[in-house]
Amino acid sequence: MESAQRAAQLVTVAILATTICASAEIRKEFRFTVGPRATVSVTNQYGRISVKPGSSNQVVVVASLRSDRAEIDQSQSGNRVDIISHLFFEATADTGRVDYEVTVPADASVTLRSSTGPLQAEGLHGDVVLEGSQANIDVRDISDAHVHAKTLNGSVTLSNIHNGHVEVTSVGGDVTLNRVSGPQVQVNSTSGKIRYEGDFGNSGEYYLASHSGDIEASAPNDASIDVTARSVRGTVENDFPLEPKHTPFVVKAGSAFAGTMNKAASSVRLFSFSGKIHLKKR
Amino acid sequence: MNCEQFQEILPEVIDGGRNVEQETHLQSCPVCSGLVADLSLISQEARQLQEFADPAPRVWNAIEIALRREGLIREPRLGPALLPPVKHRWSFAWLAPVTAAALVAFGVFVYERGAREPQPVAQVPTAAPAAVTNLQTGKSQKSVNNEDQQLLEAVGSRAPTMQAAYASNLQNVNAYIRDAEESAQADPNDEEAQQVVMDAYEQRATVYEMALDRSLP
Repeated sequence: MESAQRAAQLVTVAILATTICASAEIRKEFRFTVGPRATVSVTNQYGRISVKPGSSNQVVVVASLRSDRAEIDQSQSGNRVDIISHLFFEATADTGRVDYEVTVPADASVTLRSSTGPLQAEGLHGDVVLEGSQANIDVRDISDAHVHAKTLNGSVTLSNIHNGHVEVTSVGGDVTLNRVSGPQVQVNSTSGKIRYEGDFGNSGEYYLASHSGDIEASAPNDASIDVTARSVRGTVENDFPLEPKHTPFVVKAGSAFAGTMNKAASSVRLFSFSGKIHLKKR
Repeated sequence: MNCEQFQEILPEVIDGGRNVEQETHLQSCPVCSGLVADLSLISQEARQLQEFADPAPRVWNAIEIALRREGLIREPRLGPALLPPVKHRWSFAWLAPVTAAALVAFGVFVYERGAREPQPVAQVPTAAPAAVTNLQTGKSQKSVNNEDQQLLEAVGSRAPTMQAAYASNLQNVNAYIRDAEESAQADPNDEEAQQVVMDAYEQRATVYEMALDRSLP
């Protein structure tokens, strides 16, 4: 009886010890002094990367490692900082996970890669590039910069992007643009849905295309647009009274529409093969 | 043997056999084994491109200039081999320009092939639409399927759980390409339809790019 109790105690202690070890995160912090318009790249395999603006001459990287099956390779060459998660053999999605919290000067150009993500960037006015096969991407409050997002199946959400050169490629993930404007805004997807909500700025080119995903664009009555919408096998719907315009293709009712509104300052092209397209009043 | 030593003799490993030491390192290092898998795939793709025809010398010249500018090659190159010379030091950085160069070479090759093929005048209003509408004819469906199969095998060897997702994505982008090309061929004067063909191919390139990315889980 006593030996059974002792064995039970030992098992309990072992389970507790294992639990404590497994849940222990390893936290590492790196600081780099940089000049104006620094370039920062973070490459991760499993885990979150979040970037926010901080000090004007410091890049601070806080990495939370789930186990000792990963380490951080970091280097600085002049104004360029590279951070890479280096996984050891047999690291898994759990043991190899590294979460990054990064602060950079607001004018820094940032490149983030993580297969699983999520990837987040906010408050910057340097170029932002985010890529990840399954990563959900969230970018907000960016101005006067290029924003490039690329994912296979992750969702992409861009909010409050002003004067941006925006390029989004998503094979299967949905794309949402809230108050995104700039000289070039392009979204291309195979099966993802595309949703735009904003006023299309005052002089940009907006091109939203999806093979089979629906496209929904919401704009106010005072939006100044020259719009063309076509769905080869799907349907189109328009809530605005557009001034007719000439098109190089035959406009079939229900599958295409084209026209201008107000001063037609921005060009808006919406294209799908089998998705439904809806230009909505906001 | 460590990664640095292994990567210095990587071309020999790709082209020829491996000794016990190299094999042991390969078994124990996911970085190097992934690199070998990627290089083998690129090498096979390059050989397939050669089977169609040799692109014009200026294509190779352009690639050579680009690689030289990147500092990836130092000696003049005569043949169409895309892989750097054996004795050069290896790093991951050259993978991106080499892959890009292969894609550019293939694009130019297909463009030239399309431009050489006789076509009814009415269907060729400009050179650009002719190029995109002939992309599919430049590469047989069998060849496309073969490429996809190789890619899926490469993904399966590194991340088996991702194989189904990649297969589904490839199926979808191939459907996109088929629809886009049919649409463009139906109206060669429709510039937007031509643009969509490029969009569709860009989607396919994205799938390949992600699958060959070093950070694939």
